[in-house]
Amino acid sequence: MKVRWARDVDWLLVGATALLVLYGVVVLVSSTRGATEAATFLRARSMHLVIGGVALLVAGTIDYRRLAGWAQVLYVGTLLLLASVFVLGETRLGAQRWIVLGPLGGFQPSELAKLAIIVTLARHLDSVKTLPRLGSLLPFGAHVAFPMLLIVRQPDMGTALVLFGILAAMLYVAGARPRDLAGVAAAGAVALPFLWQFLHDYQRRRLAAFLDPAADPLGAGYALIQAKIAVGSGQLFGKGLFAGTQNLLRFIPEQHTDFIFTVVGEEFGLLGATVLLGLYLVWIWRALAIAAGARDRLGALIATGIATMVAVHVVVNIGMTIGLMPVTGIPLPLLSYGGSSLLTTLAGTGMLLGIWGRRTGH
Amino acid sequence: MIASSWSVRIAHLTVVLLALFALLEGRLWLLQAIQGPHYLRLSEQNRLRDYVVPAPRGVVYDRRGQPLVTNRAAFTISVLPMEVREPERLADRLAPVLGLDRTEILTRLAAGRRRPFEPVALLRDASKAIVMTVEEHRLDLPGVIVQAEPVRDHLQGELAAHAIGYLGEITEDELRVRPGYRAGYLIGKAGIERVYDSVLRGTNGRLRVEVDATGRPVRVLGRELARPGQSLVLNIDAGLQAVAEEGLRGRTGAVVAMDPRNGEILVLASTPAFDPNVFSGGVSPLNWKRLTSDRRLPLLNRAAEGTYEPGSVFKIVTGMAALGEGVARRDSLFNCTGAYRLGGWVFRDLAAYGTVNFIRGTQVSCNVMFWTLGRALGEGPLERYARMLGLGRPTGADVAAEAAGLIPSAAWKARTVKEPWYPGDTLNMSIGQGWVLVTPLQVARMVGAVATGGTMVRPRLARRILSPEGIEVSAWAPEFVDPAPLPEEAVRTMQEGLRAVVDGGTGRAAAVPGLAIAGKTGSSENPRGIPHAWFAGYAPADRPSLVVVVFIEHGWRGGVRAAPIARAIFAAAFQSLLSQTGGGRP
Repeated sequence: MKVRWARDVDWLLVGATALLVLYGVVVLVSSTRGATEAATFLRARSMHLVIGGVALLVAGTIDYRRLAGWAQVLYVGTLLLLASVFVLGETRLGAQRWIVLGPLGGFQPSELAKLAIIVTLARHLDSVKTLPRLGSLLPFGAHVAFPMLLIVRQPDMGTALVLFGILAAMLYVAGARPRDLAGVAAAGAVALPFLWQFLHDYQRRRLAAFLDPAADPLGAGYALIQAKIAVGSGQLFGKGLFAGTQNLLRFIPEQHTDFIFTVVGEEFGLLGATVLLGLYLVWIWRALAIAAGARDRLGALIATGIATMVAVHVVVNIGMTIGLMPVTGIPLPLLSYGGSSLLTTLAGTGMLLGIWGRRTGH
Repeated sequence: MIASSWSVRIAHLTVVLLALFALLEGRLWLLQAIQGPHYLRLSEQNRLRDYVVPAPRGVVYDRRGQPLVTNRAAFTISVLPMEVREPERLADRLAPVLGLDRTEILTRLAAGRRRPFEPVALLRDASKAIVMTVEEHRLDLPGVIVQAEPVRDHLQGELAAHAIGYLGEITEDELRVRPGYRAGYLIGKAGIERVYDSVLRGTNGRLRVEVDATGRPVRVLGRELARPGQSLVLNIDAGLQAVAEEGLRGRTGAVVAMDPRNGEILVLASTPAFDPNVFSGGVSPLNWKRLTSDRRLPLLNRAAEGTYEPGSVFKIVTGMAALGEGVARRDSLFNCTGAYRLGGWVFRDLAAYGTVNFIRGTQVSCNVMFWTLGRALGEGPLERYARMLGLGRPTGADVAAEAAGLIPSAAWKARTVKEPWYPGDTLNMSIGQGWVLVTPLQVARMVGAVATGGTMVRPRLARRILSPEGIEVSAWAPEFVDPAPLPEEAVRTMQEGLRAVVDGGTGRAAAVPGLAIAGKTGSSENPRGIPHAWFAGYAPADRPSLVVVVFIEHGWRGGVRAAPIARAIFAAAFQSLLSQTGGGRP
């Protein structure tokens, strides 16, 4: 395929991605400063970016229609990969989500699994033309449920939440009736209390801490309170780069990964946070626009899935940091330190660019 | 572009997205714009500090349960690097208060910058006056904190200082090879404090406190108790150790006393010693300089790290080799004329003893006899027997540092001195001169092997590990290495000779009435001055339970200077038995 750069590349999406990555590097430097491993973090981040860039180019070059042709293989492979975590996985922070890959460090299969689920689900949805009844949603629920069960057992509630969002958005775009989706959501709400007993202790503590952070200010509520103090104390314009005291004093656990937004809020204030939200808004808006303008239903569904994936990550991550949601360990796309997440988002960006580039002709 | 069937629904999603982002933005507005000043105040008051609560190290007891090392409460003046805005001014103010060098404070602060959240200890075991001064001037000393930290209390002062060792702050190099250790930790640097650091060290606790703007603790938010280290019972007998050190007083030397049957070290003394209490609060630069620049090397554990010419004590090796290889028998006769002719050279003895058998020759330490035997054997068997008896390699004892000593051979000489092995070298070697170097600890094991008929033990200082509550956690079983294959007949003859040494021979100054003691004296010529004095012996001669080795640097005659110290130790060890009857164990 001959690329006509002005027409075939969505420069807004590329620009938003690049700015978010840059933003992330600045924040990473700030959040790890003083740590003995700061240089290591930066080096690893650079390596992740190189690998992610390659993934973006590869994902953009492969025709999504051909990729979807391999849906069955992709799906089974994903299930096997997720299952392998139980065998090969290494436990970090109490959750067995990692496979150690030699010098590349840890690898979280559940991150990459999201993209595979999006592609295979899109293909699955594309194979039916209509979703006339509540019952017709069932196979697709099952499609996502199998990998989701493997992920939740790992146990990664955040990722499960993301998958649920992706499923809902893709079903909606595929033509599911709103009242059927509402019915599923209502059933989910009813089931929630029963899910409680399947949660791990730490997950229950986090939920309880969300409802009343002050009850246990040194335990699970601690991170929440400190995160709110960090973000709030940034006020309108922030304390300035490298000047955040919450950040410096290490009150925030995991501040270079899941809680990275605290650094943004504290050091760059409402202004910096709004710029960040704006960049994400541009990114997701472009992803949805690509979905709307796709040449076929398959492309539209894939793009919708990727857009939703990033949107849910952003909303849940920032929402948890500023006390709108319970703490679930999911990264902020393109910002959080973490190779698997970056790789997945950049590969997703590549797929979006591929769908955009192929929207006409051929 | 025509509107596709899905584009309307995607437009709906975009609306949902905008709503969610508006929600986030609204929440941020609330937190940062409306409540921002409130949270800023909270973040300014937000001064939590996490302190390490050092665990007290385990107590060290002697074999009878007498405490040798415990801990006492003390205060450490530290600085939190992250709280120090003007290090220069702080150093100016602190230096006179703590009595430290200004540059020393700045150096330590700079090193601590790498880990700004961990207190840097400036002065351990600070006096009450210093602690009070610091507390009073807290407002002028931002970032300075006073922490309770127990320090080592060596109840017996210098007693067994080398065996016990001392602590020091962990170095960057040690940090790299010891995972789990953190900067500022005190770790064992010598002696059993070092060998058993992981046993004695407990698990540090943590204390999270909220402090006000001046750094005063407001309330404790959480604590993890420190778990004290396990206690160690040593094989050292404090009473015997004291007798040995009394004997060494004013001299440079070493004493080792060991049970040859199981390797228990009852005495490990080295003089001049040092007072380990000067290390309790981290050794001051002045004290450290004094200890390391002292030419008598007080930090050197002469019993295990010092290597010396064994002199006539080595005749035990030569004698064992001669008897074992059939070169001599009990009643072989030697003509001790006072001189030995080798080619054009004449080797002179101290005196002429006339015609002697092996026993008499050993009793008077006749050089001519041992030259004759050495010459008949050659350097090969001499070296083999020396190694068989554990010389030339570390004993593997649980001392922190041990020397290997040196047993020469023709190959070694060709390699190192780049000269061939001469017959004169064999003569020198056979009386423990020339190149031979041994440690007192090696000699103790060697004599123990002869006393027991070939048992080669691994000497051990540590006896049992107790939990902090005093309950036995584990105990060491005796450890053995390859036994020396000594023919029974040869051993009996050697033992008879050694018995004769103390019973009217060169070692008679070691004799204790009522106790059968065997041994060998030595006066070893050395290039640094007058001869070293040695005595190495064991008792009771028929059922050996204690080996005693006394070494006096430049002590002149073993029989005169070393043997009386051994006598005192034997007398003390077998005191209770002597007042009753017969032999037995101490």
